[in-house]
Amino acid sequence: MKMKRIFAVLLASALMGSVFVGCGDDTSNGGGDTTNSGGGDTTQTAEIEDGATLKLWGPNAALATLKKQAKAFEDAHKDKNVSVEVVQMEENDAGTQVLNDPEAAADVFGFASDQLTKLTMAKAIMPLYKDYEDKVVKEHSKSAVDTVRGDFEGSEVVYAFPETDNGYYLVYDKKVVSDEDAKSLEGVLEACKKAGRKFIMDAGNGYYSCMFAFTGGLKLDGVEGEAQDTQKFNEYDEKKVSASMKAFGELIKKYKGTFSKAAVANISAGFGENPRQVGAGIDGTWDTSVNQKALGDDFGVAKLPTINIDGTDTDIVGMIGYKYIGVNNNTKYPEAAMALADYLADKDCQQERLNDLGWTPTHTGVEVKDNPGITAMQEEGKTFVVQANIIQAFWDPMGNLGNQITKDKADLSDASMSKLLKDTLNNING
Amino acid sequence: MIKSYKTRRQIANGIIYAILAIMGVIWVSPLVWMLLHSFRAEGGSSVHYLLPKEYTFDNYIKLFTETGVINFPRWFLNTLIVAIFSCIISTLSVLMVSYAFSRLRFKARRPLINIGMVIGMFPGFMTMIAIYYLLKAMGLTQTLPALVICYSSGAAIGFQISKGFFDTIPRALDEAATIDGATRNQIFWQIILPMSKPIVVYTVLTAFIGPWTDFILVKIIMGDKIANYTVAIGLQTMASQTYIGTYYTQFLAGATIVAIPISLLFLKMQNYYVEGVTAGGVKG
Repeated sequence: MKMKRIFAVLLASALMGSVFVGCGDDTSNGGGDTTNSGGGDTTQTAEIEDGATLKLWGPNAALATLKKQAKAFEDAHKDKNVSVEVVQMEENDAGTQVLNDPEAAADVFGFASDQLTKLTMAKAIMPLYKDYEDKVVKEHSKSAVDTVRGDFEGSEVVYAFPETDNGYYLVYDKKVVSDEDAKSLEGVLEACKKAGRKFIMDAGNGYYSCMFAFTGGLKLDGVEGEAQDTQKFNEYDEKKVSASMKAFGELIKKYKGTFSKAAVANISAGFGENPRQVGAGIDGTWDTSVNQKALGDDFGVAKLPTINIDGTDTDIVGMIGYKYIGVNNNTKYPEAAMALADYLADKDCQQERLNDLGWTPTHTGVEVKDNPGITAMQEEGKTFVVQANIIQAFWDPMGNLGNQITKDKADLSDASMSKLLKDTLNNING
Repeated sequence: MIKSYKTRRQIANGIIYAILAIMGVIWVSPLVWMLLHSFRAEGGSSVHYLLPKEYTFDNYIKLFTETGVINFPRWFLNTLIVAIFSCIISTLSVLMVSYAFSRLRFKARRPLINIGMVIGMFPGFMTMIAIYYLLKAMGLTQTLPALVICYSSGAAIGFQISKGFFDTIPRALDEAATIDGATRNQIFWQIILPMSKPIVVYTVLTAFIGPWTDFILVKIIMGDKIANYTVAIGLQTMASQTYIGTYYTQFLAGATIVAIPISLLFLKMQNYYVEGVTAGGVKG
């Protein structure tokens, strides 16, 4: 008897469990389906829902500004009684968190472009309504919009509102590296060497080391649009790319002891030491404030310099990503969420974030005055390879390429460079 | 060839101790480094020198006073609360389950022990998504009780070691107590438990440490509810790309502070700990 009762209880609880799990799945799918039909081809923007309560995710650095802007949005839609709650969530984590539980996630969220692929694949992000799309295409910089284009059930869509860019540039101590030196990598390294300082680059990380190949004209195919997992490298001149890799390798070899392969956090740390250990480095825009704090008036910033490849000074081409404001496909208030995202990505809000936080605008109408960091990023935006639809298998082989070129006893012959390039691309393409 | 046994032994011991000393230094050095640099006055992340140039308590003070961005005290308190509750609940349930399996004879005993063993072989994070949705159905996501439930409800699966220990306690004691009129319940609380201090201590320690080190589960359950984070996510946040430049030394200070409650508990109970592990292992 006892045994039977125990079994009954066990069975019942197992059943209950499966019901609950089923529930969770059902609701999330159901939510996705209902809103999917809303995205894509809708041309007319409907009225904002009455009494919409929205959650907005933003990084801690921008929280104060975003709260101000959310308040302004609430005020602008007072008649609809819209309320916006701003919650901290870092942009590099937002995509993962949305996928963890789309229903508990924010309605509107800022995210970095590397998160886009997983969001679109899981259909967790709502494509822009047509009229918003037209506005975004018209008013924002082309590369920022191109990065976020995609294919949604057969039609081309824009997935999110461009917010700012996300990339890296050259930072240097003006006491060591003059603005003139900063124009070429040779000049930067020479100046650092003279001062006995280090030049830091995270050359074992594919995000940075891809510049060794990209500078030689390597391009990612399938970056724009549909092809999310078919990255092929068809269009490139093997000789040119190898020559670029070789030029980097030789320069780095020549400045052995000055060139240091280390994570970017070491740059600000080296600037902050007394006496300063680092003369220059290739650092991310997110570290601008710590670098500025460490260097004070000596803080210099410029777009990536040139490198001399077989006698010609060539602009270094790296990778540039963007940050976007996306709308959760599971939001209960799609109209209000879309309107909020649009408001945040618009000219006035971008101008305000530029003034408050120094975020590069993607809106072409925003005025940038006398800000070398932003000019540098805008310059880079013109030539850099955009970080869109990059497959996961890209990073490690590219990092390895960087390691191979920068290691102490690197074989920099033409043949070995071509082989390294081919191996890398084979590994990426799978 | 050295003739004297004594000298030979001294040389051998010397070499062995030298090796042990080197290994000891290697093992301890990261901890010492962490401790030293948590007092570093110079900011920034990593520095190229081994010893800080100036020492300060600021990192610790800031950790507990500047709570606008990184609310470490709150996270610490969260973890402590979760650790204490799940420690109490899981210790009790583990001991009770072990007692039942060791002393009682019922039909489902073997099957249940086997099921427990099999379930215990699956890695915990396999069921994480299911756990999340179960908690969500109960409206418990983003709360601390959810963590307590997660850490303590499955704990009884780890009954093997304490069951092994209970098996070594002579059944004659139970029988004597039964003759004196004690119930099973009384035997457990008044006879078995007082004799099982080592294994109780072992269970308490393992249950207490869990919440301090677990990361994935908390990350999934808490989502964007920063106020309910535990120290594990808190420290990871401080060491993430956007924060590391500013918070590195505070991160080290935080890591040091996290070690305090665990070390205190460990020091207090370590005598029993070793005994508990070995005693339980005799007969598993």
